[in-house]
Amino acid sequence: MNSYCSTILFLVGILSSMLNQASHANDELPVFESDIQPILAKKCGKCHGAKVRKGDLDLSSITGLHRGGESGEAAIEKSVDESPLWIMIDGGDMPPEGEPRLTSKEIARIRRWIETGAKSENPSATAKKINQHDVLPIMLLRCVTCHGPQLREGELDLRTRAAMQKGGKSGPAFVAADPDASLMIQRVETEACPPRELLLKFFVRRPSSTEVEVLRNWIAAGAPEGDVTMDVATSESDPLVSDDERRHWAFQPPKAATDAQSIDDFIRKKLIANDLSFAVEADRDILIRRAYFDLVGMPPPVEEWKKWRSSEQPNWYRAMIDHLLASPHYGERWGRYWLDVAGYADSEGGVSADPIRQVAWKYRDYVIRAFNEDKPYDRFLLEQIAGDELLDYANAEVVTDEMVENLVATGFLRMGIDETGSRTMNFVPERLGVISDAIKVLGSGVMGLTLECARCHSHKYDPIPHRDYYRFKAIFQGAYDEHDWLTFKNRSLDVATTERRRRVAEINPPLTKHLKQLESRWKQAVAAMQMETLRQHYPAQSEADRVETLRALSIADNNRTQPQRILVEKLQRADVVADSQQPATVLEARLAIQVIEFDILQVRRQMEPPLAIRALWDRGEPSPTYILRRGEYDKPGRLVGPDVPSVLTNGRTPFNATPPFAGKTGRRLAFARWLTEPDHPLTARMIVNRIWYHHFGTGLVKSLENFGVKGDRPSHPQLLDWLAIELIDRGWSIKEMHRLIMNSRTYRQSSRITDERQQVDSQNRLLSHMQLRRMNAESLRDSLLFVSGKLDDRQGGPPDGVSVDRDGMVTANSTADGGWRRSIYLQYRRTEIPTMMDTFDYPEMGPNCIARNVSTVSPQSLMLMNNRHVRELAIAFAARVDELIIDPNNDDHGARVELVCQLALSRMPSDRELRLGIEILIEMELAWKGDRSAALESYCHTILNSAAFLYID
Amino acid sequence: MKDQPQRNTRRDFFARTSDGILGAALTHMLCHDFFGGTSALAAEPTLAKPATQYNLQPKQPHHAAKATSVIHLFMNGGPSQMDLFDPKPVLNRMDGKPYPGNVEEIGNSNNSAIGVMMGGRFKFARHGDSGMWMADVLPHTAKMCDEICLINSMWTDHPNHDNALYKIHSGRLFMGYPTFGAWSVYGLGSENQNLPAYVVLNDPLGPPKNGTRNWTSGFLPPIFQGTRFRPSGSPILNLKPQYEQPSAVTESARGLLNQLDEIHLKDRPHYPELDARIKTYSLAARMQMSAGEALDLTRENQRTLSMYGVGEKWTDSFGRRCLLARRLVERGVRFVQIFLEEQPWDSHADLAANHRGACQRTDKPVAGLLRDLQQRGLLDSTLVIWGGEFGRTPTTQKSVDGFSGRDHNMQAFTSWMAGGGIKGGTTYGTTDDFGHKAVGNPVSVHDFHATILHLLGLHHQKLFFERSGLEERLTGFEPPRVVKEILS
Repeated sequence: MNSYCSTILFLVGILSSMLNQASHANDELPVFESDIQPILAKKCGKCHGAKVRKGDLDLSSITGLHRGGESGEAAIEKSVDESPLWIMIDGGDMPPEGEPRLTSKEIARIRRWIETGAKSENPSATAKKINQHDVLPIMLLRCVTCHGPQLREGELDLRTRAAMQKGGKSGPAFVAADPDASLMIQRVETEACPPRELLLKFFVRRPSSTEVEVLRNWIAAGAPEGDVTMDVATSESDPLVSDDERRHWAFQPPKAATDAQSIDDFIRKKLIANDLSFAVEADRDILIRRAYFDLVGMPPPVEEWKKWRSSEQPNWYRAMIDHLLASPHYGERWGRYWLDVAGYADSEGGVSADPIRQVAWKYRDYVIRAFNEDKPYDRFLLEQIAGDELLDYANAEVVTDEMVENLVATGFLRMGIDETGSRTMNFVPERLGVISDAIKVLGSGVMGLTLECARCHSHKYDPIPHRDYYRFKAIFQGAYDEHDWLTFKNRSLDVATTERRRRVAEINPPLTKHLKQLESRWKQAVAAMQMETLRQHYPAQSEADRVETLRALSIADNNRTQPQRILVEKLQRADVVADSQQPATVLEARLAIQVIEFDILQVRRQMEPPLAIRALWDRGEPSPTYILRRGEYDKPGRLVGPDVPSVLTNGRTPFNATPPFAGKTGRRLAFARWLTEPDHPLTARMIVNRIWYHHFGTGLVKSLENFGVKGDRPSHPQLLDWLAIELIDRGWSIKEMHRLIMNSRTYRQSSRITDERQQVDSQNRLLSHMQLRRMNAESLRDSLLFVSGKLDDRQGGPPDGVSVDRDGMVTANSTADGGWRRSIYLQYRRTEIPTMMDTFDYPEMGPNCIARNVSTVSPQSLMLMNNRHVRELAIAFAARVDELIIDPNNDDHGARVELVCQLALSRMPSDRELRLGIEILIEMELAWKGDRSAALESYCHTILNSAAFLYID
Repeated sequence: MKDQPQRNTRRDFFARTSDGILGAALTHMLCHDFFGGTSALAAEPTLAKPATQYNLQPKQPHHAAKATSVIHLFMNGGPSQMDLFDPKPVLNRMDGKPYPGNVEEIGNSNNSAIGVMMGGRFKFARHGDSGMWMADVLPHTAKMCDEICLINSMWTDHPNHDNALYKIHSGRLFMGYPTFGAWSVYGLGSENQNLPAYVVLNDPLGPPKNGTRNWTSGFLPPIFQGTRFRPSGSPILNLKPQYEQPSAVTESARGLLNQLDEIHLKDRPHYPELDARIKTYSLAARMQMSAGEALDLTRENQRTLSMYGVGEKWTDSFGRRCLLARRLVERGVRFVQIFLEEQPWDSHADLAANHRGACQRTDKPVAGLLRDLQQRGLLDSTLVIWGGEFGRTPTTQKSVDGFSGRDHNMQAFTSWMAGGGIKGGTTYGTTDDFGHKAVGNPVSVHDFHATILHLLGLHHQKLFFERSGLEERLTGFEPPRVVKEILS
């Protein structure tokens, strides 16, 4: 495997013929200490010594050789050809290119040494001593579900050697030195344990024969207890990460610049160096539209646009930015960006049923609020990563809003795909997948590191050892424990204020009752519709067959008998007949169902939201964390403790997690505090880069998710650092960052690209102009709704449902008033993403999305041209125009063209556009046989299709 | 492809016209008049990403391609290998006896429901010059067996439908990865710019299990995802206006839109995405016409229709989709996938009846497709793939009415390939005496994918996409094996 090669190093090729030439100079058997160790020290010691241990391999002692590298295999085996050390040398992989090579004599010596049994002066050091940590991981995987923290079957706890010795009702689990007499061996070997009927219930698999062998060997050796401490950073320097590797720019704290004091200083300096200057300033209409889309994601209301464009205040622009930052729509725009980082979804995913997440929206609302309140970014992270460890909600006399808010915030790391609530997908590997998603979200969204690469082996490019991934995982072990798991079904907290509890108790019971009645009526109506469909389409069918069809529908499809399948298929065939060819009675029966569905929706809307919070919380009793060799769940390696990646520290600072109050480990809290320290090299840089990206279309560092060695270098490193320091100095205020950026001359440049700028700065890395951008899916849909006057701007709460038609088109349901809410409030079930969002690049969250694709494909054109819903919005838009014209008989086409342009594009039409518009209106009116409104509708629809509408200058 | 022009005349003809002579004229008029002279053969739109632009223009393969198009007949649910393709006399003799080994080896999700050994349910015979084994429920396919290569030694990594489906389509057990169809069009583009490059035809009775995730572009740009033609009614979403408007108005609107967009574009030089977007509107217009023609089965003669079983009760639906697939690859569409609803092959109960039913629906159309492609000289350049996500166990499984079906088996299953570059009449790989585990020449899903890419002229190692500084590949990290033995 690649991982293997990368960990145990590479070497220069030596031909075997050379080997044959090398005679056995010394016929005495070589011994490690006198014959081999000096060679290894000279040629390999630089990277594989006691102090520096690349790939976790120490070749300075015989113990180190037997211990091997991070793959967990010893460097020497019984035969030469099975010895990784020899394979690396013989294959020419090691020493790596550029390093002094081994001579043919040295190579021959090493070979002979291995061939003759790898003798050492200290033979006792070669045998690896078995201890409890070879056995405990097996207990965790196979046994502790029943004999651990949750259950103590037979009063037995198998989590420590002492507890095993103490045993349970039937006696001690083992008899030292006598495996055959040991209960645990007997139970496992007779397959009494784990009991067959519980395997699937508890998602346990039987121990493999190798594992049983380990148990036997341990007991046979007297069940020795080794003095093993968790591998964590100490005050010694880290042998796996060198100070040299810490020098990469992104691992150093941001440095204050001395010679520039504003965004424009930094940008201008580089422009001048390239014989460029700022592009002309964009005109006022463009600045207004740009600012509105950047901060609230929709065009300005026409009155506001008029106010700003005619303002004679010298500070009108600054005032406009402040006005927009105070808008509640700001949080909807910028919160959505963060939801992409978190990988927000309203369903669990992973399995076809794709279960709905009932209360994920509480986290969505939390994010929107946080942006609107300008919650300091450090606090924002603290709450999302460790909100449960900030206040003791469990033992509080009174639950406060803040406690609830903190817990809702922890939904951040609960957004990945979670199939562990399904009947068959809750084994340790699936649980590890959930944890890995959470780590990936943090790595890609907050830390700018591809941490997940170190899950199976040390990172190929960045100095992130395999070990550090598991130390990092240990930070989450108190909350996400694969050996003491909560599925999505039971991983939620009912923590609420007294007031909320009272409201739920008062409001919901009668509504729930009503809902139950409606649901039973709905079932009847569906059955009635199915019966009617069968009657109409198959009049000859017997009534018994019809009844049998309905019964078959309640059986899982793969368990149906063949006659049942045929019956069901008949119904399906009748069901997919086009509406226009369905008998009236069937359509009526369908309508009856829709009426009940509407009633159900109404009742649901009146209900007080459930108390449940989709939280992540520390449960105080983490299992030990072991490195998983090659990332495989059943290949445990060394015991590690919680810690942050060594490269981001000086490598000599132990991680200090102390419980903030009883019942918590404090690990995530310590991590979050470390992450938000002002001199953290990545946290502030990452977020200012993301803010920059959303304003300019490209980050100062292009690879938003990767600041590591393989990531892009910043185009303006000093500016990035300056912004990071400004952010912290301004109390981690994100709104202040918008002010800084949007008030700059850099931001106010025109987006036009002259030939000269194109030649010198084709990628716009110098920021020699503003970048034209396409609206994202949310902005487009929200703008269509807004322009047509159909936007229902109520905020928050459970998401608005969607309907899936027979062709698979997913459309948002309208709200009670016949409007639609902003796209952030739609239901995002992974398998039912609204078609319009999907068409305009709403991402697949896997587990999150760092930067969306911007595709330009024909289904987008088809959607905007032909879709019924878009047409209806165009009609509403036209009606609005006519209303604003006041006198519908006024046949001033010019006034209409102007108004359409103002509403949709926030500017006046050019002379040519005006002329064109008037001509077309006349032409269309003719074609519509004098129907002026219809002509205006067609015209409005065209404008909504235009590039001028879709793109922001 | 480029090195085999003589084979492509027919495809070229269709690829370069959208509606015969009349269509070509219409397209020209439409594109010229309404889209400011943009050519009917203009580039398919590209991504508006400043750095990398993606498109569906034809691309040079890594090596000479044997097949230029793929038709993937996906048999959702897991057809039974020992009942259809891989006769097991030992298993037949043990019919009704308990499984001789440890039942946990069977790998079922639920051990308590394991029944007894079940012999093949159908009669086998040897067919064709090659003497290939096939069960009597596949009489039509059996007649084409000298074109077919059976791979009896396929195996996969997961016994659940969801994960096995992700695996067979994308090479990974989890959602979010590009399917091999997406990788193919990412690597090769398409010969036809008037139709989507990667088309999915699913069943009017409903979507397959896992829905659209069976043809996702995953982390690849979305232009490489499969475009699902709707199984009934209008085949492409929003292909036709969902409202009434006089055609003269539509013409005015198109004219206006084009003029406005040209003004917008002219004011903004050096933004290729604006040009691309104008092209998407012309492709949309071309699709409105050429898709209609490509999908119009009334243009086929009765002999052809009958070959596919169109008009017959059991075969009409699948036959239409097979015929449509031929019309699409004929027009240069790179990749066509056909799905059945949900998972009809999944026979936990009543295997004999279920499989007979599934064969009844698909056997004749599949054979018709092979024969029709062959007669038109298209089979040489079209790779046809048949198979599901896993196989079935040698033992029965308890279900509603007793023990009459088989459970999922990830350790062995049969897929077959035919056409472009495949050595027909081959039976490759073997399973143990029960058809339970692939033992001779096992073919992993990665090997399977690498072989398909190879036939398309792509090298699995050279075909990658950079993501977060890593090179992602269809076939993962470990080098797969192109199954050279089955290549012609």
